[in-house]
This record gives sequence, structure tokens and C-alpha cells, in this order.
Amino acid sequence: MLIYLTTMIDTKLLKETILQSISGKEDGFNLTTEDDLKSLCKEKFGGAGYQLVGSFDEIITSLLYGNIIILFKDMEKALSLSMAIGEDRSITEPSTQTVIRGPKDGFVESITTNVSLLRRRIKNRNLRFEKFIIGSETNTSVYIGYMEGTANEKIVGEVRKRLGQIKVNAIFESGNIEELIADKSATPFPLALNSERPDAVASNLLEGKIAILVDGTPFVLVVPAVLVDFFSIAEDYYQNFMMGSFLRIIRYLSFMIALITPSLYVGILTFHHELLPTPLLLGIIAQREGVPFPAVIEVILMEVTFEILREAGVRMPRAVGQTVSIVGALVIGQAAAEAGIISNIMVIIVAITAIANFVSPTYSFGAAARLLRFLLIIVSAILGLYGVLIVLVFIVAHLSSLRSFGIPYLSPVAPFIIEQQKDVFFRFPIWSMRKRPAYLKTQNPEKFPKTGSPSPPPMKGEQSN
Amino acid sequence: MKKCGVMSVIFLAAILLAGCWDQRELGEITVVTGMAVDKGENDKYILTVEGINATELNNRTASGFAPSIVYSAEGNSLAELTYRVNEGMSRHLIYSHMRTLIIGEELAKEGIIDFIDFLERNREIRDDFNILIARGAKGSDVLKVTYQFQKSTSLKLHTQLDTMMKDWGGDPGVRMNDVITAWTAPGRQPVMAAVRIKGDPEAGASAENMMKVTPDALVVLDSLAIFKGDKLEGFLTLEDSRNYLWIQNKINKTSITVKCNESQYMGLRVYDTRTKVKGKLENGKAKIDIKIRAEAYIDGTHCNDQFDKAKTYEENGEIAQKQINDMVGKTIEKVQQEYGTDIFGFGEVVLRQDYQNFKKVQNNWDEKFADADIQVDTALIIRRTGIRTKSFLKEVK
Repeated sequence: MLIYLTTMIDTKLLKETILQSISGKEDGFNLTTEDDLKSLCKEKFGGAGYQLVGSFDEIITSLLYGNIIILFKDMEKALSLSMAIGEDRSITEPSTQTVIRGPKDGFVESITTNVSLLRRRIKNRNLRFEKFIIGSETNTSVYIGYMEGTANEKIVGEVRKRLGQIKVNAIFESGNIEELIADKSATPFPLALNSERPDAVASNLLEGKIAILVDGTPFVLVVPAVLVDFFSIAEDYYQNFMMGSFLRIIRYLSFMIALITPSLYVGILTFHHELLPTPLLLGIIAQREGVPFPAVIEVILMEVTFEILREAGVRMPRAVGQTVSIVGALVIGQAAAEAGIISNIMVIIVAITAIANFVSPTYSFGAAARLLRFLLIIVSAILGLYGVLIVLVFIVAHLSSLRSFGIPYLSPVAPFIIEQQKDVFFRFPIWSMRKRPAYLKTQNPEKFPKTGSPSPPPMKGEQSN
Repeated sequence: MKKCGVMSVIFLAAILLAGCWDQRELGEITVVTGMAVDKGENDKYILTVEGINATELNNRTASGFAPSIVYSAEGNSLAELTYRVNEGMSRHLIYSHMRTLIIGEELAKEGIIDFIDFLERNREIRDDFNILIARGAKGSDVLKVTYQFQKSTSLKLHTQLDTMMKDWGGDPGVRMNDVITAWTAPGRQPVMAAVRIKGDPEAGASAENMMKVTPDALVVLDSLAIFKGDKLEGFLTLEDSRNYLWIQNKINKTSITVKCNESQYMGLRVYDTRTKVKGKLENGKAKIDIKIRAEAYIDGTHCNDQFDKAKTYEENGEIAQKQINDMVGKTIEKVQQEYGTDIFGFGEVVLRQDYQNFKKVQNNWDEKFADADIQVDTALIIRRTGIRTKSFLKEVK
């Protein structure tokens, strides 16, 4: 007897393989013992994912994973064959983390495809994947991947432990896992890196980190994550190291701009007029002449308007997406300034803040700047730059209290590790970055033997080194 | 949990106890860029402030009204007057952008040290604004004169003095902290730049003044005011002011005119110059040795010298050296003989280089300065001749 869920299996495949191979036999199978069944399976389904199941529960579970069950007369065990539907989104360019130079493939919703994408990048026997089933009602497959012999066993153990302790009914996205295994949830900063890019995850695996893949989402988690990870992207390593370093500094700068520009505006305009050059101050006063709101109201008004526009832009059906940008440009642009509700300089502030925020390579990290910005604005309106400073001190204190799987979030800056500075604010040439991050305490701290900078062959008569 | 509580107490204390006492919205303030102090009629001082009308200073919003409002109040202390001026002005005045302080001549003659303490102590006012004497005029009148470009006098003077100092050197570059240093240091007396109004002060105090090609009134840099203590002693010419800067080693660039023939002149642009002053006391008489080293290029000549031979450069250089020696020497002589007050800070030099002897004469240093033996020695090198070597003058038939 054949049992299956029509919606879960590939019926065409079923017709082609099973029905043909089984029903072709007119005399039936001569099966009496379990061993007979095993040898039959070896013969018929060698290479395919088959399994012998005994209990009712096992049969049900198999069915739900898209297997077909074949029951045999007079047999205690049933045969379960994997025949899950293969219709998935094809591999496309990642929609959130795009690069100019670099591989254009991205993870998809199917976990098997994702694992294969990683395997194709790292052809190494030490790359290990372990399977977990999480979610008491959804039974979602979750894989952890790591390089055995490189990754710190204790961190791997901790990941296993935390995944094992998850007791929720449903997992739909890696974000669920992230929240459930993070060291601390009361923080705006993400404690796990997420990526849609197989090349980025692969390079992190080789650093000694651990990837967590969740079925049904293209976002793969990488732990442990430190703050500086959110400022580096794979493309840094695909282009000239000078350009890579420059762009990285731009990213740090943008984060600060996105975080503090509006609060600096409020603070300086209401408390510290002496900080501006006289012509600039006079220019701003002239522009703000007739603006009815205090600077802080003006800023909050515009920032909230922008957040609304941004949210609308994301949720809007694609067909009317154009409208948002047109209306948005009008609302926070010239029209508002001309109506005298805000000053022109405010438009510039909102624009630079917004654009700087989009620079953040990981979307979830940009959220930290988005949230903390409002706190800074309010404190700045009460205390001026003194307040901005207080909040920044608290943010740094908070950051240094964070841990990601036991690794200090600010490492390698605090605790300071000089060797790692080659890949923090600047990216040094690849041949000089021989060490894996020391804060991960990897089993194999060196990536490759010492090599020098590439150089041309010696000239005639010159001694070669 | 306890840690959390402590943290939030610290955080709230930092925010709630600090408060927003000095919060001023931009719409509630008027920026003061200039201040003038004159002798009062009944009380000690008249304070005049110039509040900027920012809208008029912005090209896009300007509509041709007066660029600033000038208001005076009379009283005995500037500290009180800076707030009392609100009797006539609507918004909070902020003094942190004050660029220019103008002191009336009359008041300067009587002494100014009393109110400078306020300017130095006040938390808003910077200590690097220009400090000027209004020669033959009231400080308040100077503030009222409008101008085409920066529109308000105080902003104009600030830029003008800066430009002048960089290009030619007529402004001694004296900021308030320099004056205070001169007062407190032994062996130096302060100087200040002096300005006067050229034209009719009444007509100058209007927006129409800005619209004319030749304004009815214009504030011009006039001379160098020299002090004995806090009292104005007299004025030196602009030329002297430049020579003063030269001795102070503060010349950036300057131009000098050298007589190269009978009623024929040569313009030299001095672009790199350094001055070293040495001083000591010998048998109770001060000996000051000033060494000026300068590099220059020829910027124009009436004489048709041909600059293709090294000798010509040397000869012309020597003429220029003599003239600088003469020029600087005369300025010093004039100060020695007419005022006897050491504005050059030679006392400071002697203090550093001959401390033991200086200690003995410290209290009557100005007398020693008056009959000091001062030598000026210039070494000027002409490096270039502009973009021509030979002048066309020789070929003119």
C-alpha cells in the first residue's frame, strides 16, 4: 500500500520511479523478512533517501516531510522514501546585500539548496553540518554548519545547547532563532550576523564562526558576531585594499552620521550657538526666521515623517511604489520648507541622516542607529551636547557589556587585540592577514603560512631574495 | 536588577539635575557681532551693541532693510548693561559671536582696564575679538556705519583687519588676550588698531549708505593707538603700524617702496621675513639688536634696471635693506622720544635674555627703553622679478 500527501510530493517523480519499478513486476515481490526488504531497497532505491520506519508516529512525521510510505503485507516495517516537492525559488541575486563585484548568487528558501551552496564554496571534509528540528508545531529543520578543527568546540557546544533549549511552537525565520539564542534581548544591537550571501557565510565559517541555517528563509545567521562585523562586507576583500579600507571608514562615518546628526543639530541650535562659524549661524537664523516650531519639534516631525515614508515604501504594493517616492519627495522636500513649517537646512539634515543610514551593510544593524537616534534627539533637546555625550557614553557602556556567545561584542577593539586591527577600521592586503580572529580562540589560529607581498621577478643581475 | 536601578538613577540624575537653563531657540536670539564702549554722560559708560538682522545678511532673504540694529544704554558696569540693553531690543542677545570691540577715544584716554575684566570673565564672550580705538569719534558711531559686503561694521572690520594684516600689515593683530598679556607681562605696553570714520557719520548710519558706489561714510583703518598702562597715549601712522609688526615678527607679507633713483621708485613684495630681537643691559643702558631677514620679489620698477645679472639684484637689495633699517629705526625712535612707552616688548626680550639685570630696572623699564641703544640690521634678498626679467622701459623710443 502506498501512502502519501499529494500536496507534499512530486507526483511526476512518483510516477516515473516508484510506480514503474513496482508495478512492472507481475509476480510481486517475494518478501518475508526485514533483510529481504533491505536488500530490495538497496537494489531498487540505491542512492535515494530511503528509510525503514516502524511506528505510527514515524510514519506521520515522514509523510509531513514529503516522503511516501510503502506498506508491505506481513511486514513490521514500512518503507519511507523521500520525494519532497522540488519546486523552489531559483537561485537569484540577493535582494538586500548587493555587491558590484562579487558572486551574484544568494541563499534561497530551501535549506538543502543553501547547504549545497556552502558545500560548493568550501570543498573541505572538515565542513560539518548538524541537523536540529525546532518548533514543537512547525518541526522546522535547522542546520548548524562549522569547520571542524577550526571552530572553537566550546562555542559550537554552546550553539548546540542553546538550539536544543529552544521550546517554542513555531520557527518561520532565522530572526526567531536569533532572538531565542541571543545572549541578551534588551538591546537594539543585533547579536548575530545575518547574511543572504553564501560567499560571506563561507568566509565567516573559515574564520571559525558558526552558521545557522533555517529552512524556509534565505537569511543565514552567523555567530558569534562582534560589532565590527557589521561594518565589513564581502566586497571589501574583492577589491583593492585601499578602496576597501576607504569604504569601510565611510561606513563607520555613516553610522555616526546616521546616529548623531539630528541630535547635533538640535543641540547646537538650542544651546551651543558659539560652536558655529558666524556666517553659518547667521545663515541658519535667516532660514529659520518664521519657522514656528522649536528645533527639537522640527527634527522629530521630520524624522518621524521620514520613518513613515520609509515604512510605506517597503510595504507599498510594487505597483504604487512610485507614488510614495513622489509624494515623499514633496513632503520632506521643498514643499515643507516653502510652507514655512521647517527650514531648508532641516531637509539636508534628514536627507543626510537617511542616506547615511542606508549605508549599513546589514539591515538589522541600521535599526540600532534608527532607534537610538530618537533617544539622542530628545536628550539633546533637554541637555544639549552634554546630553548627547552622556547618551553616547551609555551606548558605549552598553556595547561593552554585550556578549555574543561569550565573545565581547566590542572585540577586537575592547579588549584590544593589536593583530586583529588589520581587519577593523582598515583592511590590510590579504597576504598580510594570516590569523583568524584571536577573540574566537580557534583551534587553528593561522590561516596560511607566512608569505610576502607579491613582487616582480628580479631583474637581470639582481640578487633574488 | 540592583545594577539596573543604580544605572537609571545615575542616568536620570545626569539629565534631570542638569536642566535646560541656557536653552535658546534660534528664533529667540539676536546675534551680537560688535560692541562699543564710550564714556558716559552721567554714569561711567555707554555700552552700544550691534545686533545682527540675519535675514538681511542672507542674499536670498534680504530685502534691503538695515542689516543690524544698534542700541545704547548707559550705566556703571558693562556686566549689567549687556542685559539692560534689552530695554530696547526684543530678543535675547548672545555675545558668543562678538567680533569687534570699539572703544571711544575719550574713554580710552581715561583708562579702560576696569571693564576689560568683565569681558574676560564672561562665559559667553570669546577672548579673541578685535579690540579697536575709535579715533576722533564715538565708538557707537563707528558701529552704525553700514557697508556693502559684510553690511555690518563689526563684521566688516573683522574681515578687513584680517585681510590688511595678511596682505600688508597695517593692523597690529591685537585681540583682547594680547592686550591682557601686555598689561600683565613686565616690559611691554599694549597697542591697538585705531579706526576713524571717513565721511559723515549721520549719513553712514543708514541702509542707503550701502547702495552707493562711494559711501557717504566709511570706517577706515587709521593708525596704531599706543598705550601707557591702560591709558591711551597717542597714535602712530599706519606705516609705523607695519613696522611695529615687523619688529614683532608678525608680518606675513608686505610691500615696500624703495627709491631706486631720483624720484623713481621700485615696488618690492616681501613674502618671507623673520625678525630676531636680542637685548641686554650694559652698564645700565639697554642694548637692543634687531635682525630682520627678508626675501622679496620685484613687483614693479620705474628704473630700467636689467635683472639678468646677479649684481643688479644685490645692488637693489642693498638699497632696500638700508631703507628698511631707516624706516624701522625711525618708528622706534619716534616711540622712544615722543611717548617713551615700550610697545615693542623689548623689556620682555631683555627679561628673557638678561634676567638678573632686568630685575633691577624692571620698575622703570620705560625710562630705560626711552634711551636704549637700538640697532636695526636687515638682510634682504631679492629672489625673483615677477614674470619679466628685462623691463620694456629700456626699449621704449
